[in-house]
Amino acid sequence: MTLAPYLFLSACLFVIGLFGALTRRNVIGILMSVELMFNGANINLVAFNRFLHPQSTLGQAVTVFTITVAAAEIVVGLALVLAIYREVSTVYAEDFNLLRG
Amino acid sequence: MIEQIAFYSLAAVTLVAALLVVTLRNVLHSALSLGLCLFGVAGIFATLGADFVAASQVLVYVGGIALLVLFVVLLAARHSELVLRQTNQQWAAGLFIAGATLWGMSRYIAAYRGLSATTEAHPTTRDIAQLLLKDLAVPFELISLVLLVALAGAILYSHQGKEEGPADAPPPAGNPDPGPGDPAEEAP
Repeated sequence: MTLAPYLFLSACLFVIGLFGALTRRNVIGILMSVELMFNGANINLVAFNRFLHPQSTLGQAVTVFTITVAAAEIVVGLALVLAIYREVSTVYAEDFNLLRG
Repeated sequence: MIEQIAFYSLAAVTLVAALLVVTLRNVLHSALSLGLCLFGVAGIFATLGADFVAASQVLVYVGGIALLVLFVVLLAARHSELVLRQTNQQWAAGLFIAGATLWGMSRYIAAYRGLSATTEAHPTTRDIAQLLLKDLAVPFELISLVLLVALAGAILYSHQGKEEGPADAPPPAGNPDPGPGDPAEEAP
């Protein structure tokens, strides 16, 4: 097994997430796309760790940090989505045009 | 050989599930595909020999984040959304940006073609634990602070508001019925 298929898989996952974050109308869909981008970056970290520095595990430790930050991000994001939904009763990003409801 | 089969089947599952996440019209189905995609990524971690990361991927992402997204979809979805268009008018520009990014990344990936692993994969949980508690101890503590702040922020924003809660009600004057023999009340 070589490194390039792993990198190509992570690039594809990142690009799919980027496309979703750019084009989804639903805010929950945008948050899910951002999670896909996080996962692409995580595959990259672990793959470089495995193939270029197999004697170290620093890449995997950083991946654990990334997973934690992603969890914090999605929790706060979904709480914000729920708070906004309670105010304006929509989850579509183009309808979020008021800073103060 | 078995490694190639495992990798390519997991990669196919992951990519198809990721495409379903960004293209499906029903957000509930998108959230379910997100769970499948995250599970496939955990399998990819397992083929890379990262056992601890694969386990935490399953625990945190599949067990936590996908479930949380599912809950919010169920709380904030409406029946009319099943027939509405889910992408905005800029999908052609988004497709162009995504394609250009993929092309640029594959230029860099081509530099790593043919690089294969030199050592066997070994369990890494002990090494990660030693890293987290020695070299990365300060970021480890900081990340727990970040988690705490995120928890407080989530509670703050998802709080129901103060129009129907008892938060606006004035606090009762004094303690109406102090428990008999409460030492905290009588302490100087």
